Amino acid sequence: MKYALLIYQDESQAALDEGSPALKAIVARHMAFSRELGPKRLGGSGLKSTRSATTLRTIGKDKTVHDGPFAETREQLGGFYLIEAADLDAALAIAKEVPLAGNGAIEIRPLLGAD
Amino acid sequence: MSQENLESTVRAAGRRVVAALAARYRNLDIAEDAFAEACLRATEAWPMKGTPADGAAWLYRVADRAALDTLRRRRTRERIELDPPEPVPTAEDLMIEAGIPIPDERLRLIFVCCHPALGPEARVALTLRTVCRLSTEEIARAFLVSEATMAQRLVRAKQKIADAGIPFEIPGKDAWAERLESVLSTLEVTYGSAHADAALAGPHAGFAAEILDLTRVLVEILPLETEALALAALVRYAEARRPARLDEGGAMVPLAEQDPCKWDRALIQAAEAYLQRAADLRPTGSRSLLAAIHCAWSARQKNTDPLPWSTILKLYDAMLSLRDDAIVRVNRAVALAEVAGPDAALHELEALDKVEMESFAPYHAVRADLLARVGHGVEATAAYDRVLSLTEQPAERLWLERRRAAAMAGGSR
Repeated sequence: MKYALLIYQDESQAALDEGSPALKAIVARHMAFSRELGPKRLGGSGLKSTRSATTLRTIGKDKTVHDGPFAETREQLGGFYLIEAADLDAALAIAKEVPLAGNGAIEIRPLLGAD
Repeated sequence: MSQENLESTVRAAGRRVVAALAARYRNLDIAEDAFAEACLRATEAWPMKGTPADGAAWLYRVADRAALDTLRRRRTRERIELDPPEPVPTAEDLMIEAGIPIPDERLRLIFVCCHPALGPEARVALTLRTVCRLSTEEIARAFLVSEATMAQRLVRAKQKIADAGIPFEIPGKDAWAERLESVLSTLEVTYGSAHADAALAGPHAGFAAEILDLTRVLVEILPLETEALALAALVRYAEARRPARLDEGGAMVPLAEQDPCKWDRALIQAAEAYLQRAADLRPTGSRSLLAAIHCAWSARQKNTDPLPWSTILKLYDAMLSLRDDAIVRVNRAVALAEVAGPDAALHELEALDKVEMESFAPYHAVRADLLARVGHGVEATAAYDRVLSLTEQPAERLWLERRRAAAMAGGSR
């Protein structure tokens, strides 16, 4: 079996701004944890703050771009892609092609330290 | 003297210089800071050495150097190896250089500031700050927030552009329609806040002129986009009415009751030229139809000229096939009442979603008027109360209060 571990935390409380001591500390702990996991770790990355998030909403045939993270309503997380794209427009173009069963949303979040 | 020269240079060319810097360095902060630095150096250099022949080119060149220096410092801090800096000519050295062309990157900058991945309010604020170069304080006043709050919002928006990787590129064919729509609607919202301020005495005073200018620039760069042309026409038609929009008592005057002699004919002519260009192109969009509605009104030269209601109704009918929303439906009902009577119009309003209409002021204003006209004074008064609770503009409130009093007294019109 392969599993995805999705990390949820309160980013405002943790003060995880880029370059902050809190972020450096947690990154160090993740590195240690990843070493411990060894070959059991298939991939993974930190994400930039939700302030950098963009959400592509699909309702019927309409796909619209919105500022901010996905706000949970009826939909549940059903999967994820990790992609390489030149910029947000290129990422959005790919996100528009992601198959969805009915209505839904795709949150586009840049990876931490990947500029 | 050189202080005046600097101010007029900044007014005339500041936007273009900042846009060129932002596009070159793909960073709004670097562009802003470098431009501020260049202006500061001009206040020192120009009085001593005299005003350069091409002040804009001087500012661009000096700001460009300043931006490069900033980038070098950042990279040194992050310990990235860079070539040793080239010998930098002093600001004074640049005085003698001939003018260098400044690339026109305003369109790129508009697309960045109006990217749909930014919140609608952030787009308006960022466009006013970065493209129109209004001060943070002016924008804050218009949004009824403190300067600190607005500054914070602008910082966040710029941060989002950098973090999310919003490109400093003119969008490609696939994204073009969506991105242009986002630009046009942002300019519309910005103008809308200036237009709502009928007396133009409020904090939006600077906006109207900026949007006239920005739409002119936009169609200069995009001469074949019908909706951009139509928007340029629309803001001119709307602005042309400004002298007629208030009566002596400071109350709003509805379009049909305005004195056409007071309309600004030069602006109407400019609007018509843009609308004609839009009409010569295809396809017709909803903004072109809206501009055509304004055009029908503007054909009136004096008070005794007939009101163009049947034309207006036909245009709104056409509009419904392109854009069927509450704004169009409510405006269409106004024309329908004049052509087919208030009962028919009320019937149309009944079909609209009550929950959605709850806080939509124009719906209640039109409904109140129609109810008064069919003799339902009590219901009309209640509807006027509802609009008044949703309306802040003093000029509109004055007018609504008069209408409410008339409805209460049982008068129909």
